[in-house]
Amino acid sequence: MPRIISRRGFLLTGAALGGTALVAAIGGVGYLATVDVDGLNGFVDGDSAVLNAFLTIREDGRVVVQVPRTEMGQGIHTGLAMVVAEELDIPFDERISVEFPTEPLPAYSSWSNVLQQRPEEASGPIVWVGRRVLGQLGFIATGASASTMSLWHPMRVAGASARQMLIDAGAARLGVPASQLTTGEGFVRHDASGRSLSYGDLAREAAVLPPPAEPALKPASDWQIIGTRQPRVDVPAKVRGEPVFGMDVVLPNMLHATIRQAPVFGAQIVRIANEAEVRAQPGVEDVVIVDGRQVAIVADSWWRAEQAAWLLDVQWTQTEADGVDSAGMAARLHAALDSESPYENINDGDAEAAINGNADTLVEAEYEVPFLAHACMEPINATVLVRDDGSVEAWVPSQSPLFVRTGIGRGTEWAGLRPSSITCNITMNGGGFGRRSDPDISAQAAFLAARHVGRPVKLIWSREEDIARGLFRTHAAARLRAALGPDGLPVAYDALVAAQSVVNAITSRNAPFTASSDGDRLTVEGLDKLHYAIPNRRMRSQNVPSHMPIHVWRSNGFSFNTFFSESFIDECALAAGADSLDYRRAMLRENPRHLAVLDRVAAIAGWGTPMASGRGRGIAIEECYRSVVAQVAEVTVADDGEITVDRVYCAIDVGLVINPDAVIAQMEGGIIFGVTSTLNSAITLEAGAVVESNFHDFPMQRMHNAPEIIVEIVESDLPPGGAGEPGIVPVAGAIANAIHAATGRRLRSLPLAITETIGERRTRTVLPA
Amino acid sequence: MVALTVNNIPIDIEGADDKPLLWALREDLGLLGPKYGCGVAQCGACRVLVDGESTPSCIVPLGSLAGASVVTIEGLPSTSGDLSIVQQAWVDEQVPQCGFCQPGFMIATTALLARTPRPTDAEIDEAITNICRCGTYPRIRRAIHRAADALSQS
Repeated sequence: MPRIISRRGFLLTGAALGGTALVAAIGGVGYLATVDVDGLNGFVDGDSAVLNAFLTIREDGRVVVQVPRTEMGQGIHTGLAMVVAEELDIPFDERISVEFPTEPLPAYSSWSNVLQQRPEEASGPIVWVGRRVLGQLGFIATGASASTMSLWHPMRVAGASARQMLIDAGAARLGVPASQLTTGEGFVRHDASGRSLSYGDLAREAAVLPPPAEPALKPASDWQIIGTRQPRVDVPAKVRGEPVFGMDVVLPNMLHATIRQAPVFGAQIVRIANEAEVRAQPGVEDVVIVDGRQVAIVADSWWRAEQAAWLLDVQWTQTEADGVDSAGMAARLHAALDSESPYENINDGDAEAAINGNADTLVEAEYEVPFLAHACMEPINATVLVRDDGSVEAWVPSQSPLFVRTGIGRGTEWAGLRPSSITCNITMNGGGFGRRSDPDISAQAAFLAARHVGRPVKLIWSREEDIARGLFRTHAAARLRAALGPDGLPVAYDALVAAQSVVNAITSRNAPFTASSDGDRLTVEGLDKLHYAIPNRRMRSQNVPSHMPIHVWRSNGFSFNTFFSESFIDECALAAGADSLDYRRAMLRENPRHLAVLDRVAAIAGWGTPMASGRGRGIAIEECYRSVVAQVAEVTVADDGEITVDRVYCAIDVGLVINPDAVIAQMEGGIIFGVTSTLNSAITLEAGAVVESNFHDFPMQRMHNAPEIIVEIVESDLPPGGAGEPGIVPVAGAIANAIHAATGRRLRSLPLAITETIGERRTRTVLPA
Repeated sequence: MVALTVNNIPIDIEGADDKPLLWALREDLGLLGPKYGCGVAQCGACRVLVDGESTPSCIVPLGSLAGASVVTIEGLPSTSGDLSIVQQAWVDEQVPQCGFCQPGFMIATTALLARTPRPTDAEIDEAITNICRCGTYPRIRRAIHRAADALSQS
C-alpha cells in the first residue's frame, strides 16, 4: 500500500527539539492530534479503491482486507476478514483475500495490548495519548492472544464506514437519497427502481468521499457471518504447498546463509581456527563474525553453507556460565524460594498470620518446571536486501514488523550502514509461539545483506541452532502454602514463584532501558487464583537471573503457574477430603462465569463416573486472556509406569466467538502443545550449554500418542477474549491431577514423565520410578 | 548430473551427488512445498514420494535417485489442477493451522492410502510419524478417514 494515508505532521522528536519543554509539550500534543489513529480516509490507487486502512476494493469486485496481525496458524486473517465482510455486507467467499500491510499506519498499532483496553470501551487522556504515541511508533505486534480483542471493533468500523461510503457514492450516481439504498451480495441497490450497482463499480468514487463520522454498525441480530463456521482463507494455498512462508522467499540473485552461535550464551569469538578452509568450500562466498558472537556462512546454496558450517572450528571465550548445569540452575531456583526480599505482588488480608494460626491444617508443596524451546516448525529465518541507495527491504516470518525494523537498524549499524528506508514484508509464519517477536534474526540477516549490497540474503537457522542456541521459556519453581478452615476450604493462600523475569530479559537485550523484574505480570500470571474465594491471599515473586536468553513463550507464566496452582488446589482438596470438582465449585460460588465453564467440562467428561484401575481423571481451570477455560484429562498408567493421556475434555468461555471452528482448533492445538511440555520436553544444561539439539532429544507429541480431544464452547455475552493461548493453560495441572487420581502419586516437576524411544520416530512416556 | 522424474516431468539435475533431494527440489527446481524442518528425518516436513514410498527428502542424497520417480505436494493435484482426494479432505476438515508441516503429512497419507486404503487408527499411528507443532493431529486423523471414505467411493 502506498504511503498516502495519515502520515501527517512532523516527527515527534522534531517537536521535542523545538524549544523549551513547554513549547515541546504543546507542540507534541498538537502534533499527536494530527496522528490519524482511525485510518478511515480513502484514496484511489490505479484500479484499486482503498476505502480505508483496512479495506481495498478492486474494480473486479475483489476485496482485499489488510490485516496487520501475523497469521501463524491461529486463523486471525480469517476471523478479522469475516468481521469486515459482515459489516461490508458481502458474502464470505473466495473474492475476499487478506494481506499483511507493509506500511505501519497508526491505525494498525497494537496499542490496546499495551494499554490493556478494548478499543470499543477505551476512553480518557492516557488512551488518547497512548493510541497516538504507539501508533506513531508503529508498535504492531501479534501476541498475548489479543488480536481479535484489539482489532475486531476497528475492523467493524472499517467495514461499516466503507459500506456507507459505497452507499453515498451510489446515491450520487443514481441521484437518489442514500436513505433509499440498501446493500447485499456486494451491490448497492435501489429497490424502488430496481437498479443496482456493484461495489467494484462504485469503489473508486466511494474512496474519495469523506468517511461517516459514526458509521452505523450492524446489530448482532442481523449477523450472518460472525459466529458461523467459516473456512480459513489461508487453507487453499497451504494444502497446495504454495510458497507462503519466509523460508520460501526466492529473489533474483539471492545468497543463502547459515549461522553458528555460541554454545554458552554470552561467549564471544576468540578466533576461527580454520577460516581459510571453510572459505574454500564449494559455493561459499563469505565467512564472517557477526556482532562478535556468531559466525555466518554465506553461500550459493543453504545446504552448501550448512555443510561448510559443520566444518567450523571456533574458539569461544570462557564465561562465568561455563560451569553451570541443570542441577545447579535448579538449586539456584529453590534457593530463591528462601529469598528474604521477594517482590510482593498481592497481599490481601494477612496470609502469614492466618497460616501461622492454622498450622495444623497447613498444606505446603514445591513445584518446578524446566526451560523450554519454542521449536516452531518453520526454522527461524529472514531475507534482507540492501540496495545501492541504502534502502532496505525485508521478508520475515515475524510477529512484529516493529521488531524487524529494530533488527534491521541494529544489523546495518553493525555493518556501518544507515538505511535510507526500510520496507518490511511479513510472510506467513510457520508457527510463532512468541519466538518470532525478537529482532535477532532480522539483525543478523541485515548485517549480512549490508555486506552484500544489491544481493538479497536469506538466513535460515538450522534446527539445532533453534533448539540449542535460541531463546527460551524460563525455568521456574514455586512454593505454595495454604491453611484450610473448618469447612476444608483455604482461609489463606500464599504463593511464591522463582523464575527469570521475561520482561527484564527482553528489555535488557533489546531496549534502551532494562525493565525491573518487580511486578512482571508474565512471571506471576496463573498464580493469583483471584477467581477463587479465599479471604487471605499473598502472591510474591523472586527474579532469578541467569545467562539464558529468556523470551515470551505461548501462554508465558500461565504455562507454569497454572500447573503449580491447580496442582496445589487439588492437594488442598485431598487434605480436606473433598472431591476436586466440588472443592473448586465451592471456591467459585460467587463466579457464575467460571462455574458455568467448570460445570460444562465436568458434564462432558462424565466427572464422577467410575474408572477402571490404573485410570484417572484430573480437572483444572484458569481465567486467562479474558477467557475462562477448564479441562478434564483422562489418563491410563500401566503397571510398568507407562502413562497415556487418553482424552482431554475442554470447555471455554471465550466471549463473543467470531469463527467457532478456529476457537476449537486453537483448543485442540493448545492442548497438544501443552501435553508435549507436560510429558515430553525439557531444555537442560551441561557446562553452560544446552544439551538438546533436535526433535530426537526435544521430543514432541505425535499422532500415536496425541490424546483424543473434545471441545465445547460455552455461550457468552461478553466481548471477544483470547483463544490462541488458553488451550495450553490448564493441561499440565489436569494431567498431574489425573495421574494422582490414577496412582496416588503426586508429581510436582515437569515434564512429569520420561520419554523413551521405542522405534523410529516412536516414543512412549513412563512415570519416573 | 542425475536424471529422474519429478512430478511426472523428466529432469536432469546438475549438482553434487551428496546434495539431499530436499535442497535440490527447493534450490534447484524451485519446488518449495517440501519443507526443511529438522534435517535429520525426524519431523517429516520434507516428505515426498520416491517411487510411491513416503520418504524424508532431507536425508536422501541426489546420487541415489537415478531413474527414480519423485512426487512432491505440488504433484498431488490432477493435471487440471484439481486437489487430490487427500488434499480435499485436508480442506474439508480444515486441518492446517500454520500449515508448514502439512505437505509432509499429505504426502505420508497419500502413500499410506495407496498401500492401505482403509487404515485403522492403529495403522495411522504406525504410518504417520510426522510432527505438527500446532497440534493438528485430531483433524489429520479425521481427514485421513475422510479421504479413505472418498477413495472407496471413487
